[in-house]
Amino acid sequence: MSIPLLVKDLVKVYSVKGKNTKALDGLSLTCSRPMILSLLGRNGSGKTTFVKIATGQLLADSGKLEIFGHNVIESPGEVRNMISLVPQECRPWGHLTPREHIYHYQRILGNTREGSKDRTQYVADMLNLGSIMDTEAVNLSGGQRQLIIVGMALSAEAEIYFLDEPTIGLDIITRKNVWNAINHYKKMNRTIILTTHYLDEAAALSDEIAVVSRGKLVAQGTLAQLREKVEYNTRIKTTKGLIGDSLKGHGRLLQDEEYEILYTDDSMVEEIILSAGLLKSHVEISPIGLEDVFISLVGESIDED
Amino acid sequence: MKIKGVKNLRALESLMKLNGLIPIYRRPLALVAILSTPFSFLFFVDIFSDGTQLLAGSIGGLIFTVINAATMLQSDLLFGKIDLKFQQMVSTTGISPLTYVLGMASGDIVFILPGAVFFLAVILYLSSAGILAILLIVASAFLTWVFFSLLSYLISRKVREMREIWPISVIFGIVFAVLPPIYYSVYSIPIPVRYLAYIIPTTFAALIIKDAVAGAFFSVLIPLLIYVAETLAMIFFATRISDWRQRTI
Repeated sequence: MSIPLLVKDLVKVYSVKGKNTKALDGLSLTCSRPMILSLLGRNGSGKTTFVKIATGQLLADSGKLEIFGHNVIESPGEVRNMISLVPQECRPWGHLTPREHIYHYQRILGNTREGSKDRTQYVADMLNLGSIMDTEAVNLSGGQRQLIIVGMALSAEAEIYFLDEPTIGLDIITRKNVWNAINHYKKMNRTIILTTHYLDEAAALSDEIAVVSRGKLVAQGTLAQLREKVEYNTRIKTTKGLIGDSLKGHGRLLQDEEYEILYTDDSMVEEIILSAGLLKSHVEISPIGLEDVFISLVGESIDED
Repeated sequence: MKIKGVKNLRALESLMKLNGLIPIYRRPLALVAILSTPFSFLFFVDIFSDGTQLLAGSIGGLIFTVINAATMLQSDLLFGKIDLKFQQMVSTTGISPLTYVLGMASGDIVFILPGAVFFLAVILYLSSAGILAILLIVASAFLTWVFFSLLSYLISRKVREMREIWPISVIFGIVFAVLPPIYYSVYSIPIPVRYLAYIIPTTFAALIIKDAVAGAFFSVLIPLLIYVAETLAMIFFATRISDWRQRTI
């Protein structure tokens, strides 16, 4: 039985005016069962280049990319009917309504008139598009326009959905609608490859997360597995003024005079607090989140990526 | 195979509506804009020739109108590729790049149809063209549409920014619709320049129509064969290189 997605040593070099830029430098990742896999990485880390190659927009220089056992590099035509895409920074036609977008996209997919109408209504209900369905896109907000694109992509009955920053510009309620839709597709045994800069989104939705940096996979696994790859697992947050000499230099100053210390051994935390003369009410102890994991894995400075 | 054909027809119909019928209905000003240049040329040809070149002006107007559809297609393909990213979404539907181009080009045909019908009507009114001549006029316009739509597709593949296409479109119109002998006779230009004119396919488009309306059907044969050969070569070339995937986007 072939797996939804297999990527091995994928390389893509952009050559502009004699200058070569390696967008993908041997990227390897796997999606072994239908799931939501989030790709995280800084700007320019290669996420969108990967999506473009996987969806047959861009030629790779070398490497292997298979979707359900079909070789996308050699024969991208074989997988086009299996995939659907929300491209990054996509926008709808200004003169068309959401209904026309989804309906005609269905027709381009080859659906019948009746089938297209039904599918359009299905997506409209799923994404709560009802009140704007017959409004020209030019008169809609940025978030509503983005929702049209998501609706078009989700209207396709695909096996794998590549969603490249699908919730960008959406308010929190609308984002939750899209999350529900994504989860709904996952329950239907579909695979969703999600690229996002919203770490809360990745944490809330993903079965697995793949962290990409400089065109390479840094780590892939569940959030718990990624946490294990980081040196620290516990965060102590307190106010800078309360920090005694014993703890200075062990953490970092955050905004609003907050001081953060990361520790590996959470059994030591209580002892550390006491030895520093801090009261429990003065500190906030929490396990490290995806943001900590992400920063730890890809680095903070612009030079590092 | 049959199912794929039906799918392509559905896609063509929808692309024609998205890029032609719906925008014309909601934004009719574009219809006026696209027809304004060929009509302006006809106006000046008629004024400066005291009405003696109205037929030649109408033939030129018909070809210019079809070229305008191809020029529009360049912007539409790039708009879909760069600005909307619609092309990226369509590429995952399973239709071929040439089906997409044909659908978008059909949408642009809708824009020029009123103008083309007007110029054809004037040509028929001013000449004694019969059925064969009408067929040759339509064939010439059709070959022009196919050849230049595919040329526009090839150009749009190479352009990576919307701003780049605006000067290209202007030059495209001048090289293929203003300078070549479509509003005037190819025989009115000196020999060395005339050979240069024969490099441009619209010269043959005009020759076919001019000879057809004059009833010189034997003279039509060579320009028609050359134009068909050029168009087939263009179709062959475009089919060979057409691919959703590009080296850079």
